Amino acid sequence: MPVQAGIHSIEKSGATLIQTFTQTIIKKFKADPYFWLLLPLLLYIVIIAIYPLFFSFRISLFNYRLTDPNQTQTFVGLENYIRAFKDPTVLISIKNTLVYVVGTVTVELLLGLGLALLFSPETKLAQFVRSFLLIPMALPPLVVGLIWKSLYNADFGVIPYYLKQLGINVGRGPLGELSTAMPAVMLIDVWQWTPLLMIIFLAGLKSLPQEPYEAAYVDGSSRWQSFIYLTLPLMKPTFLIAFLLRTVQSFKVFDTIYSTTAGGPGQATTVLNYHIYTVGLTFFDMGYASALANILLVMVTVLSIIYILVMTRRQL
Amino acid sequence: MYKKRSLPEKIILIILSLLAIAFFLIPIYWLLTTSLKFGRDSFAIPPTWLFFDATLKNFTEVLAQSKTFMYIKNSIIITAGTTFLSLILGVPAGYAIARSKFRFVKNSAYFFLLLLMLPPVAMLIPFYLIMRDLSLIGTYMSLILLNTVFDAAFVVWMMRSYFADVPLEMEEAALVDGASHFNAFLKVALPLSVPGIIASALYTIIYSWNDFLFALMLTSPTTKTIPLGILASFSSVEISWGKMAVMSIFAIIPAVIISLFLNRYFVQGLTAGATKG
Repeated sequence: MPVQAGIHSIEKSGATLIQTFTQTIIKKFKADPYFWLLLPLLLYIVIIAIYPLFFSFRISLFNYRLTDPNQTQTFVGLENYIRAFKDPTVLISIKNTLVYVVGTVTVELLLGLGLALLFSPETKLAQFVRSFLLIPMALPPLVVGLIWKSLYNADFGVIPYYLKQLGINVGRGPLGELSTAMPAVMLIDVWQWTPLLMIIFLAGLKSLPQEPYEAAYVDGSSRWQSFIYLTLPLMKPTFLIAFLLRTVQSFKVFDTIYSTTAGGPGQATTVLNYHIYTVGLTFFDMGYASALANILLVMVTVLSIIYILVMTRRQL
Repeated sequence: MYKKRSLPEKIILIILSLLAIAFFLIPIYWLLTTSLKFGRDSFAIPPTWLFFDATLKNFTEVLAQSKTFMYIKNSIIITAGTTFLSLILGVPAGYAIARSKFRFVKNSAYFFLLLLMLPPVAMLIPFYLIMRDLSLIGTYMSLILLNTVFDAAFVVWMMRSYFADVPLEMEEAALVDGASHFNAFLKVALPLSVPGIIASALYTIIYSWNDFLFALMLTSPTTKTIPLGILASFSSVEISWGKMAVMSIFAIIPAVIISLFLNRYFVQGLTAGATKG
């Protein structure tokens, strides 16, 4: 089959390319004693991480279902990618992912800054409270999801109970209604990750220069004015880093969705990650799942590169 | 510096602080009390916050199952393996990046950062297929290998910024005295960076202990970890929130210990990861 042969030769030339690349690197850095300390990890990553990613690209060009008793892999070219762009669930899940990421990151940034200001004094009490606020982000996201699932439960959950007391109709509970499922899941993310932003902002606040504040005080500015005209502009770099870091992390959400709504009701909370998981690891349609995973990979990589560029520019 | 805050201002700040504390701690409090409640009380309407019949029934029932210890054992083995491998690979690499003058070595830091940000599910699908072909699904090794990719990348990133702050002079003196670069690393730089290594270790412990997605796909019934044990206690014959809560408490122990007692290292790691370049 000519296409198969084509793939084979691509793989072959890829292998030689990697070979020459490694040879050049080894030649060039044999001189550097530190290179040898880096080498074990580099090799590890190439074998355990980079090779699977190439493998994933190859699989994405095939029709490969693990449920097929003959385990046949048929070459289909870019068909899986074309299918992805026609799949309505993909569009919905991309939309949901964007809503989730933008919503959670915005709220977390604002609340995180508020918390940082609230608990910034270096008193014993503030330090004590801060150490407790670290707990949520260290918890397993699965456990966090389950705790909130029980709090949200329509029959015996605490939150619907108090909402009912206030005369609000909760129907099938916050997680069960189309209109509230997404915000309810996002609240869990806010609960878990706002403290991280508090910590980042606290570090940012601590590293602010003192002189502008003294000058402003002498000039008679109020606390509020100092905040608006000094703190906010000076915190801009920290804000940007925190924003990008959380955006990249937020794209990874899986455990919370898995443990609370499983993507439902309907597809109201199906994020791209969850959709890929469903296609690949419950329907075992590996070719298509790999294509979807690669699309996500490209999206996240672009974001990550922006993050890294911003961070390195800041360092200079 | 500024004039003292007025009384209403103070009251508003105190109310806001209390609201924040309540929001972040009530769910954890709820988990703890659920583990101590009888089944009927965890469904009670109106909810009982303070006064309920406390019982250790859930704990004794969960601890009576041999599976509980299997989950804990598996979690410990996988966490220990991942932490060990991540540190062995990541600490020297972080040192190399901090000290080397070659651009390739220096800039590989950003490669590891990029790796850290990859969506786990994108890595899991090909890794699952490869492990399946090698019949390694259900082994501790498969899970340790995959967890280490992300954890070692984090260790590199953290240790790089830590070693950058360790003064060079002592290593240079050792080199002048004829020590090899490897010995300068092992005998001079490493002892000076113990706090950084502890902080890195805490992170790998939390990440691998909390991992769910990888464990979901790569474990067999005998290598299931605590998060999968939680789901099992949940979906068996009856939906027991009490047992779920007890298993969850095992799952959150490292997180709570590290947040409350080792937070100095923990915070150092967070800010190193996010704000230092």
